[in-house]
Amino acid sequence: MLQSEKRSLLRFLLIYMGSTFLLFSIASWLFYTSSKHHLLDNQKEALKYESQKIETALRALHQSNSNRLVYPVSKTADSAIYDLDKHYIFGTYATPPVLGKKEKHTLSYVVKIEPYYLGAAYLLLSKPIDFTPIRALQRNLVIFMLLAGIFFAILGYYLGRLFIAPMRESIKQMNHFIQDTTHELNTPISTILTNIEMIETFGECEKNSDELKRIEIASKTLSRIYDDLTYLNLNHHYHRQIIDLDMSHLIEERMVYFSAMAEAKRLQVRIDIEPEVRLEIDKNDAIRLIDNLISNAIKYNKPRGLLYVKLTKRYFMVKDGGVGINKKDLTTIMQRFKRANSSEGGFGIGLDIVNQVVNSYGFVLHMQSQLHKGTEVKVQWEK
Amino acid sequence: MGKIIFLLSLSIVYSFAQNEIQEASMDLQSACLQCHQEEQIPSSLVYRRYLMRYSTPERISEAMFRYLKNPSKTASIMPSQFFLKFPMKKKTEMDDMELRQYIHRYIEKFDVKKKLVLP
Repeated sequence: MLQSEKRSLLRFLLIYMGSTFLLFSIASWLFYTSSKHHLLDNQKEALKYESQKIETALRALHQSNSNRLVYPVSKTADSAIYDLDKHYIFGTYATPPVLGKKEKHTLSYVVKIEPYYLGAAYLLLSKPIDFTPIRALQRNLVIFMLLAGIFFAILGYYLGRLFIAPMRESIKQMNHFIQDTTHELNTPISTILTNIEMIETFGECEKNSDELKRIEIASKTLSRIYDDLTYLNLNHHYHRQIIDLDMSHLIEERMVYFSAMAEAKRLQVRIDIEPEVRLEIDKNDAIRLIDNLISNAIKYNKPRGLLYVKLTKRYFMVKDGGVGINKKDLTTIMQRFKRANSSEGGFGIGLDIVNQVVNSYGFVLHMQSQLHKGTEVKVQWEK
Repeated sequence: MGKIIFLLSLSIVYSFAQNEIQEASMDLQSACLQCHQEEQIPSSLVYRRYLMRYSTPERISEAMFRYLKNPSKTASIMPSQFFLKFPMKKKTEMDDMELRQYIHRYIEKFDVKKKLVLP
């Protein structure tokens, strides 16, 4: 799966799962609150029934002439009677509670008695809340949310894949097209370059050396595009050979390769290369990294602009005095097929390749740019 | 020796207190309850009627005071049929303070709080 596909799928899943989770959470919360109230109401109903029994017993007790009035005790709840001024009369509590004061984790029920049997105007009943059914409800809701989460995640994944299928198909077709094109381009480009080299070697056609140079530049550009496209296509399948590479020598070599292009644009080339800078890297990866940065700096440079290439043991830097990049485009410029400037030709794959190489070797890429002033790209070898 | 003096003084204080209680009880008996007993009106029943309507000792005390100061069928706790059989009480001649003291003793005597027990 391509990076862009993964990103789209992830975004879709995040939105889908987020909204589903939010909706389920609200529904579950409403259901939980209503069920909890229902469970507490059931427990309160039991207290109400007990209060009726005690009230009847108080009535009988009020009519008793006995010197010993036995207070009616409930088996399931504590109770107490209060006079009209809410003063405690009698009850089963070890510490008489204040009427109207709510206790935590306790279910209370107050009933007004009239007439005031034994002077009792209020009857208070309370018992600890039975949390067993509430905990069972919570457990069931958590299980339900988990199962629903798993179900909707699977469903979302399949839906997401279904939605990105057309995009995937387009990318696939584009890749196939690039693959076919590059394959077909290889032979003619190689033929042109070999023949130009032969003409230069044997010194024929000196009269037309300018034209020949232009053909050489065009062919090299084509060749580089071909290399880039091949690199992208084979990126996951080609076996890398990590060697102790002399980067100083390689960059000098690549600068010679690009010299014709730089000359054509009359660039002021400044090269500052520290000798014996060596890196553990695949040669093709290194070439793709260097070529893309240098060719971009040439391509987007102004005529007679500055091209500054610097290599040290810590970093490789390419600076140009070209068109520059908008600040808002700087964050997305690394994406494949993304082009901040359409003034020059290209596919928008150069910086994607640079980014891939940088990421696979753990390098750090710094990019600074000012519109109409130029761009500076620095690849730091170590973090 | 010290212990003997302490025990002696304690028993004297106790006997004084007992006398006080007895005297107070005797006072209430002669001033209030005696007539009720002669007329065969159970005082505890009267108190329960007060309790059932007024709930608190303070409210009962006020209601009793009002009735004793100015006895009438409307101020009485007893139903109107009660006065077909029993005569209306005469207005009390006690001063307010003395009357309030007797009412207090009356309420204390018949208070149900003392009688309530847990099984």
